[in-house]
This record gives sequence, C-alpha cells and structure tokens, in this order.
Amino acid sequence: MKKLGPIFSLIVVLSLGLAACGPASTPAPTAAPAEPTAAPAEPTAAPVEPTAAPTAEPAPSATLKIWADDTRTPILLAFADAFKAEYNVELVVEDLGRVQDIRTPMITAAPAGEGPDLFIGVHDWLGALVESGLVAPIDLGGKADEFVPMSLEAFTYTDGKLYGVPYATENLGFFYNTDLIETPPATWAEVLEVGQQLQAEGKVKYAFAMAGGGYENMPVLTAFGGYIFGKDAGGAWNPNDVGLDSAGMIAGVKYLADAAAAGLIPNTADYETAHSLFETGQVPFLMAGPWAIDRIRASGVPYKVTTFPDNGAPFSGVQGFMVNAFSQNVLLAQTFLTEYVATQDFMQQIYETGLRPSAFKPVLEQTTDPDLLAMGQITNAMPMPNIPEMGSVWTAWNNGIALATAGTQDAEAAMKDAAGQVRALIQGALAGMVNLPGSYQDQVGCGGQWDPACEKTGLAKGDDGSYTLTVNLKAGDYEYKVALDGSWTVNYGSDGAQDGPNYKLSLPADSAVMFTYNPETHLVTVETK
Amino acid sequence: MSQPTKTEARPPSLGSRLTGLAVVVLIDAAVIWFVSRLIPLGYYPLAAAVVGVASFVNLVLLRRAAYPLRWMVVGLVLLTMFTLYPIGFTVWVAFTNYGEGHLITKQQAINQILKATYLPAAGKSYTWTAFRADTGEYALWLIDADGQGYLARPGQRLSQPSPGEAGVGALDDKGIPATLAGYTRLNPFQAATNKDLTSLQFGEAGRTLQIRSPQEAAELLPLYVYDAGQDAMRDQQTGAVYANLRGTFTSSTGQELRPGFIETIQFANFREFFTSPALRGPLVRIIAWNFGFASLSLLLNFSLGLAIALLFNDPHFPLKKFFRSLLILPYTVPALITILIWRGMLNPELGVIDRTLEGLFGWAPPWFTDPGWAKVAILLVNLWLSYPYFMLICSGALQSIPEEIYAAAQVDGASGWQQFWSITLPLLLVAVGPLLIASFTFNFNNFNLIYLFNAGGPPMAGTPTPAGHTDILISYVYNLAFSGSRGVNYGLAAAITIIIFFVVGTLTLFQFRLTRTWEEVGENV
Repeated sequence: MKKLGPIFSLIVVLSLGLAACGPASTPAPTAAPAEPTAAPAEPTAAPVEPTAAPTAEPAPSATLKIWADDTRTPILLAFADAFKAEYNVELVVEDLGRVQDIRTPMITAAPAGEGPDLFIGVHDWLGALVESGLVAPIDLGGKADEFVPMSLEAFTYTDGKLYGVPYATENLGFFYNTDLIETPPATWAEVLEVGQQLQAEGKVKYAFAMAGGGYENMPVLTAFGGYIFGKDAGGAWNPNDVGLDSAGMIAGVKYLADAAAAGLIPNTADYETAHSLFETGQVPFLMAGPWAIDRIRASGVPYKVTTFPDNGAPFSGVQGFMVNAFSQNVLLAQTFLTEYVATQDFMQQIYETGLRPSAFKPVLEQTTDPDLLAMGQITNAMPMPNIPEMGSVWTAWNNGIALATAGTQDAEAAMKDAAGQVRALIQGALAGMVNLPGSYQDQVGCGGQWDPACEKTGLAKGDDGSYTLTVNLKAGDYEYKVALDGSWTVNYGSDGAQDGPNYKLSLPADSAVMFTYNPETHLVTVETK
Repeated sequence: MSQPTKTEARPPSLGSRLTGLAVVVLIDAAVIWFVSRLIPLGYYPLAAAVVGVASFVNLVLLRRAAYPLRWMVVGLVLLTMFTLYPIGFTVWVAFTNYGEGHLITKQQAINQILKATYLPAAGKSYTWTAFRADTGEYALWLIDADGQGYLARPGQRLSQPSPGEAGVGALDDKGIPATLAGYTRLNPFQAATNKDLTSLQFGEAGRTLQIRSPQEAAELLPLYVYDAGQDAMRDQQTGAVYANLRGTFTSSTGQELRPGFIETIQFANFREFFTSPALRGPLVRIIAWNFGFASLSLLLNFSLGLAIALLFNDPHFPLKKFFRSLLILPYTVPALITILIWRGMLNPELGVIDRTLEGLFGWAPPWFTDPGWAKVAILLVNLWLSYPYFMLICSGALQSIPEEIYAAAQVDGASGWQQFWSITLPLLLVAVGPLLIASFTFNFNNFNLIYLFNAGGPPMAGTPTPAGHTDILISYVYNLAFSGSRGVNYGLAAAITIIIFFVVGTLTLFQFRLTRTWEEVGENV
C-alpha cells in the first residue's frame, strides 16, 4: 500500500501536467477520445439494426459543440432541445465569457483536436485564424442574399472565401444630448463651434471627448479622407498601402490636435472619461457603440443617435459563427449554420438579447429600437481590415494620435512617424533588403531555393545607387526574380513589373555571375565571366 | 528516509514486488497510450519529455539501487513537467517560427492542404440530396445548374431516371424525388451526421463526384500532391511547385499556400531581434528607465517601509497595533485593483486627486501626457503597493538586532543617527539583503504595474517602433512580439525572453556579489 500513494499521485500529476503545460500539450488524455469517436459510430455509419427508425433512437446521432459568449449562450441553449427533437443532433454550448475571450482558447485548442465544432467570433480574427488554418470556409449558397452585404464582405478573406456566418454588426454612432443640442451639426467644424458656444455659456466642459485612439475617432479621420489600408485591384486589402500618413489622416488628426489645443476636447483619450462626461451632461457629443447603449440609458441623460457629421465612416466589427477546421463534424457544422442559424427565427432571437444591429436583412428590416436603427443607418460603416497586418497598426496609430493631441508633435510629424513604424513592422526585420531568390540559391549555401530572405544572396548597395551581387555558379539553366524586404510581398519580374515572370539564365560553363539591380527600373542586368 | 538500512538489504517480499511491477505496467500502459496519441499530432518534444519521465520512473521503481529516489519521484516529476519542460519548450520555441500563421504541425498543415480540391474545366457541380439504404449505402439525387435531376450511386454512371423508373418516386416542388425504393431520404442534418460523407465517391470510376459543402457536390479532384522527397507541394491544375520555405509552402513566384506550419528556423528570431529597428531606437532609453524604475522603486519603498518600521519599533508609540494593521491594508488588496483605482484617481478629467489639486491650485500634474509626471505616478503607485512589504520584513529584522549593541553604542556616546547608520542599517541589510535583490528583480520585470497603469504611455515621439516613456524592457518587448507584421509571434517572444533571462540573471549575480560584502559586515559584528 505504501507504494501506491506516490504512484497514484504520479499518474494524476502526469495527466494534469500534460493537460496544463501550454499549447503543445492541450490533448488532455481524458476528454479527447470519448466524444468524437463513440457517439456517431452507432447510428449513422453502421446501421446494424435495420428496425431502429431514426426517430426512435435514444442517443443523439451526433453532437455539435459550440463555444459562445455569455450573451449568446442562453439563446443557443434555448434552441438545443427543439433542435435535438427535430434533427436528433445534440447541441453542447459552452460559455467562455466575453466574445473576445473565445479567440485565444480557440487558437490553442483547435490544433490539438480539443476545440469546438463551431464558435462565435469577430471578423477581424480571420487574419490569424485563416493564415493558421484554423477555420473552414462556409458556402451560404442562395442564402447569401439575405445578409447585409457589408457583413459578408467582412467575413470574406483575401482568398475570396467566406469564413463565417454573421449575426450582428457593431459600429459607432453619433450620440448627442438633446437637452443641449436641437439639430445635430452637419460638419465636424460645426461640432466644435457648437461646443465652443456651449462652453462659453458654461453649460459644458468640452465639445466631445476621445474615448480612445484610432478606432474611436475613425468617423473624424475618415471624414477628412483618412484610411488605414488601401485595396488592390481585386478589392482585397493591400498591406503595402499604409494610409496612416495620407493627407486625409493627417488632416483628421490635426483637427483633433487643434481642438485639444483650443481646450475644446481633453488632450487625453480615455473610454471611461468620454462616456462619463457625456452621461453627466458635461459634453454634448459622443462617439459610442451599441455596447454602451445600456449604460447611457441607465444614466438618464436625454440623447439621440444619428449619422456622423461630414459623412464620417466608423469601423464596423461583425460578429458571427465560424467553423473549426479541425472539427470532426465540419459538414454538420456547416449545415447547422446554413439550415438553422441563417433563418429568421434564430436570427430574431439573437437580435433580441444581443442589442446589436442584425446582419440578417429580414430581421434588420424589422428593427424597432431607435438607437440600433440609427446605427444601422450609418451605411458607410466599413469592416475593419481582417488581414493580420492590422495587428501592427493599432499601437502606432493610437500613439500618433496621442502625441498630436498632447501637443508633443504636430499632426503631420506624428502620423508620418506612425506610418513609418507600421511599415517597418510589416516589412519585418529585413526591411530594405534587395534579394534575388532563384533556383541557383542552393549553390551559394542558402539551404533552399527561392528564398527571398537568404542573406547570402542579398545585394549590396553601391555608391551609384545600384545593387550588385556576384556569385559563382556551375553550368546550367537557372531562374530567379527580384524580391524586396526579405519577403515575396514586393517582387519584380523580368519585365520590371510587380509579380512579373521569372528571369532566365543559361550558363554554358561554370562562371562568376554579377547581377546588377537598378532600383529605378526594377530591372536586373547580368555579366558573366 | 526513515527506514533503517536493515530493511533495505532484505529482499522485498514477492507480494510487494508484484504490486510494484503491476504499477509500473499500469504507468507504462498509460504512457504508451498517451504518447501514441501525441505522435500522430506531431507533438514530438512533449512525447519525448513524457517518455523521458516515464523511463526515469521505471528506473526508480524497478532498480533497488534507486530505492531512496522513490521518495523524491513525485517532486522530481513535478519539477520536470512544470519547470524543466516549460523552460525547454521555451528554448525550443525560440528557434521556431511558432506564432500566428504557424500554429499547427507540418503534418496537420499537409493534411489540410491535401484536402483542397478543384473543379476541372470539364467538371460539373450540382446541389445534392442524400438517400440512405438500410444497408448503409448512400445515393445522391443531384440537380445541375439547368435544373436537370440525376441519380448518383457509388461506382455507377449517373443516370437520369424519370419518376417511376429505377424506384424513383414522384418529384417534389424542388425537383427531388420524395422516395427512392430501398432508400430513406435524409434531411441535410441526417446526411451531415455522417462524417465520412464528404469522402464518399459517387458516380463511375474516373469521373467521380464528391460532396463539397451542404449545398454543393461536384466532380472534384485533389488539387495538390505532396512530394516528401523534395518536401514540396505540386499543384495538379497548374503544375506549380510549392517548396517548403521556413514553414510555408512557397512557389517560385512567391505564392504561398495556407496554412503555414511550425518549423525550426535556427537563429532567425535572435537575428531578427538584434537587427530590428527596435534596437537602434528607443532601447537605450527604455533600459535606462528600467534600471531607474527598479532602483528608485526599491529605494523609495524600502526607505518608507523602514521608516515606518523604526517608528513602530519605539515601544512608546501609541495605538501601535491599530496603525500597523491599517498600514498593512494596501498589501492585502490585490495589486490589479489598486492599480486600476490609482489610475482612476489620477484621471485628469474625473480623478479625485486631480479634481482636488485643480480646485486648490488651479493646476494638476499631467500624469498621463507628460513623461516626467507619468514616471512619478508609476513610482507613487508602486510605493503604495510595496511599502507594507518592506515595513513587515524590516519590523521582523529589527527585532533580531541585539539590544546590547545599542547599549554599547550609547556607552560610547553614539548619537541616534550614528547608531542608525552604523548599527541598524548594516545589520538590517544583512537580514533583508536577499529580499531586496528579489524585489529589485521583481520590479525590473514588473509588467503588471506598467501595463495596467498606462501601458507604457505616454508614447515617445519619433521612434522607429512604437514605444512609451514608461515602458520597461518586458512591456516593450511584449508589444514588439505581439504586434509584429503577422500577429502574435511566440518564437520571437521566446527568443526575447531568453535574452531578458540573461540580462536579469547577470544583474542578480552581480547583486549577490554585493550582498556578500554585507554578509561580511554581519560576520564581523
């Protein structure tokens, strides 16, 4: 007996330890095997008992596990019984807290086979999820027409595939205090004028307050023409076109900085401050999202929601259901989404408790809540870019605005710096590198072919501004291309055009080859000895 | 080891040996089952660690020479799984591209890429409805874009039976037969509960159909083949070859296949850190503030704690217990709450401190926009958080200084100050020195305080990477690793962690040298 104690604890420790030490080890021995294998095998794959009618089966023929947030979990659970009765599929809904709390567990659990079949998320997670292969595409078929087009666009990744079924959209609306303001101003300049007047009368402290950085001030910045990423010809986000130092963005930030310098807005940005000032009537205007409606209503301040001055466009965040690519039930999960979630009944329930404008047209059309209706009327709300490069933008962007509004830097300098920071992050550590990836690279010790980051084939910049590389190659036929910044993102072909065809090189004998790259024409000339 | 040596020498009874063996067999069975699950998922390092630990346990339980070790086996296993393995794992991650975009193993990525299919030019796509026979066989009723209906069975040519033929019942309003003789019509959910449905091939050989989505079945062909020899994927449609380039299958024109996978990339993470603009830019200022913050915090917190402890050391101090309990309070409130409350109190628009100061003097320090005041605020909050700790340890240490020394000093005519500088402080430092080092190290990496209070703000102007005036090394590199071009980069984060480990390690070593001098003071007394 003496021996069993430590050994038993050892087994416990082993299983616990393996379950607990991080992403690589999430296949906890207990949960994984039982559920996916046992349940479905009996009724579907091997109907050994031909007498058992599908309706009389006591056990569900399959289980769908859903990770949801605390608002959506009760709704899904309310549907679970009816769904099981109708289709004999059990819904297991797990409440993970807030929507944003679902992302990290999903990223950790999915590759280990521990994730849900379906989960709730926000469209701008796609960058991480799709690039990592964690979500499966969804085909809505004819039902696509029933969704708000912007919400489907948000869940469509750069590969043109849809990765989520949206149920709600979130964007900022323009709140104004109806005691202080009769008709909302039409321009941002007017906002400050009205604010200044009320301030002079001693009725308010500021015109408005910044609830945060870039996201929270997007309607101002876009009104002046600011943008984050441009789009390429195909309509996909182009991470090489960073708009943080575009003239519009600088003008928008300058507007904020000037207002702060004139004492018309506070020179710091803070969510709590901005909302409290509005709720206590100390500012007449507020840019806020549907998540704040509850607290604003509770504060008792008289308000209305409307579209933004100068047609300013807020960012939109779209919430939806996504399918785990590692699920054993991908087809069933997709069927659940297209046949059950994308229906008026389901979408109506989600809308009623969620307090967000619905992404489903038939439900949206019946919206009666005046605030949500007003937010839904901001039709120029645009989905936040869903590419992973967006992750590099937030800090630099917010910092630029903070520096300008605090008066540390002028708007132009601040935003130029911010844009520079973002470009440096996107280009990575090898920014500035000119490389000639090709089929010759293994001969010069690169360890692989077509590697745009191999330092051994990086070109050296000469005094005349051209870049050169000399290598010794054996006789043979080779192909290569020009790639910048150590990646394929920006590359030039033999026609000097981006993404052009490969250069070809034939060497009749072993020779030393000197490549010269002209950064003006993007062309390479070759000399052999 | 309480057992006398005599018992050890005696061969253990057959019963206990058998029990031991049974336990070993049980453990090994569990380990083999677990490892056999890990290997197909590609978790080789973890599998190796588990096998290593299991062999150690076997050794200990089976070899009599290792008998004493079995009393430590639980501790050693814990140490291995919770300390050594995570450290080893971090080191391993530092040499990989593990991060968003490269989260799954190579095998998982290959499996996923191989699942991709394409519709050849001559291929057709249909909407489908599934029928299941009692024998478990499936048949599909397909409708093409022109509304024509087809019956598809595995291994048979598509047929176009009219209602009444081949057991096909009357068509419903969507053109789907309500019944099919020998088969049950399935609704989409009943069909989808079969996990293998998407891999079933319908239609004649050479021109088979597969279900692609709840809507669509089509004459699909696998898009890629994997060539293990070249470690490359070949696109069967275009012939393009995608070679493995640091964890992404990349073509010679720079096209990348999603998803990427975890791959070792040698020293690339370290190279990235040492060549990144982050190092050319604000790092010097951040390190200077990091040292300043840790040292000033230590000095301020320790001084205040010591001052209060000295005050309470006076036996005549009234209501000592009451005040001491009161002063301990900040230590008992979770730091998270305290930091957020201070953040609120110092808020320039709504904070009680700023409101009061502005009411009194018409001016309040810009705690969140001015670099200098932000640093003052951080030190202030940290002082509030940490002085009770120093008060506690100093109170304890003061008790241990013998009264006779003071008596002797008084005889020699030493003043109060002289006594403090020559007796109290040196003897106190001997006792609390190691704690001071621990505190310095803790503050050197005090991520919580910086991140919760102002996330390193206010931002520095004109830096090549985003950085704040109150950023310390750990909060700065956190941003660096988690706001890279491709989202979260665990590989880079792990590499930076290792570098910081060496920085802090060197510091601590240096400080222990320092404390040795204090210990010498102690020995001489």
